[in-house]
Amino acid sequence: MASVGKSSRAPLAFSLPAWILIIPIFIVPLCLGLYLSVFDKSLGFPQPINFVGLANFQSDVKNSNFYSAVKVTAQFMAIAVFIQIPIGIFLAMVLHSASKFASMFRSSLLIPMLLTPVAVALMWRFMFSSELGIINWVLDKLTLAQPDWLGNVNAAFFAVAIVDSWQSIPFVVLITLAGLAAMPVAPQEAAMIDGASTIQRIRYVTLPLLKPVLLVILLIRIIDSFKLFDIIFILTRGGPGTATQTLSMLDYNTAFTFLATSRAAAIGVVLALMSLPLYFLWKKVISVSS
Amino acid sequence: MMYIKKRLARIFVYSVLTITLFTSLFPIFWTISTSFKKRVDTFALPPKFFNFSPTMDNYKKLFSDPTFVKVYLNTILFTLGAAFLSICIGSLAAYALARNPRFRGKATFEILLILLRAMPGVVLIVPLYDLCSKLHLLGELPVLITIITVFNLPFTIWMLTPFFAAIPIELEEAGMVDGLSTWQIFRQIVMPLALPGISAAAIFLSLLTWNEFLVPVILGDQSTQTLPVLISGFISARTLDWGPMAAASSLAIIPIAVLTVFVQRKLVVGLSLGALKE
Repeated sequence: MASVGKSSRAPLAFSLPAWILIIPIFIVPLCLGLYLSVFDKSLGFPQPINFVGLANFQSDVKNSNFYSAVKVTAQFMAIAVFIQIPIGIFLAMVLHSASKFASMFRSSLLIPMLLTPVAVALMWRFMFSSELGIINWVLDKLTLAQPDWLGNVNAAFFAVAIVDSWQSIPFVVLITLAGLAAMPVAPQEAAMIDGASTIQRIRYVTLPLLKPVLLVILLIRIIDSFKLFDIIFILTRGGPGTATQTLSMLDYNTAFTFLATSRAAAIGVVLALMSLPLYFLWKKVISVSS
Repeated sequence: MMYIKKRLARIFVYSVLTITLFTSLFPIFWTISTSFKKRVDTFALPPKFFNFSPTMDNYKKLFSDPTFVKVYLNTILFTLGAAFLSICIGSLAAYALARNPRFRGKATFEILLILLRAMPGVVLIVPLYDLCSKLHLLGELPVLITIITVFNLPFTIWMLTPFFAAIPIELEEAGMVDGLSTWQIFRQIVMPLALPGISAAAIFLSLLTWNEFLVPVILGDQSTQTLPVLISGFISARTLDWGPMAAASSLAIIPIAVLTVFVQRKLVVGLSLGALKE
């Protein structure tokens, strides 16, 4: 038994290198962010730095840009949850039922998910060009309205949502497919023998059995839509006005466009606090999934 | 009747799939084809899908610029460096987690990994920028590699832990009987057995790092520019030169499109927070 004790004690030291990196790159910046948030440091005005208490947080609360960013972030989350997930589940089910070419369809569907978001956003920007872009050319041929995709407040939001969906729906499809592949066949067969229709089978057999997988998808889509940044940066930088400025984008612009380090740190603290509930959601999902 | 219904269902399934396939591949096709077009053909109306004479001018223009070659090399170095460091740090930690289900620091470690995964990158980038500029660490490739390694650590650990956990402990005990040290057991017995998992994780981490934008754009400088940073620079240029832009984008996405086909099965574990296993 002594040898088993040895084998399970020694590897603890193996997590040491990870700790050595996590402390300066994760824990120290979090503390530094908290520290900066109560001062008035600004790269634009290198005056002596003063302690200002909670003033940065107070001005956030008074700032209409902040509320607009909360709203935009919530809207992108809503698109993820109520549009991308249902479409992804639908496509996964269709793909699951196709026997021929299934793996070919699967690989080509997955490519968008892994492509460099910056490059993806750039190619869509090209296609969204209002005068000479291919999307408006198609809309013109179909005699539909041709919005100024990235210049119009409403259209810009949808442009970002479309590009995000193009990259994210494949993720929903991939994970759902994995869940469908792992699903036992017996309940499906029993339902078929009982004369259940396809819709009934999906509603009463497939979806309940998929619940753990769907919860994981829900969690990850919430997290990743909360973090959405690269695509917005390339397509609109949060504009026009503040139409696509999420909390991440607002934080970035505050720090690196307006150079207001302490104000940005305060927004960062708020964002860090907002990710805490995601931790509890994660724990809940894990307990259901396993 | 049954036969017709089945046929209709098949037609439905394959038309949905064809539309999906077209939607997911067209933007990629369009970018790559634009990268081979002359300037006059780029914005031709009606658009030229196939009826243009291809040119390598855009690629020639990119590669004649020594900066671009440097950027491409930087990106490869950044990617390989981060994947290597992630695997070193991550396999040690994942092994510790897999073999010690109840060790003391584990709960804290787990909380940190989840928060690291859930928090937007900007939250850490703002203070990290402040810290690095004070310590004169901006624009150093090794620093960028170390930082991205930590940002990717949740993926690394969640992907690797199941592979280490699946290795029978009896093999390690046999090694112990043979008088091997813990480190020798890890190097000579555990690592070779975990190799399939490690290579899958290495590819996945390479994809993540290749795509990374925020870390190199904020904490890097001219000398450490990566491809996403260069591409983002195109849009702030005064004239939008779409040909070279499409060529640079193509060079960013083609390696990934090729790799995707090889790793798709392993991706489920990496992408699902380790909550789902293949």
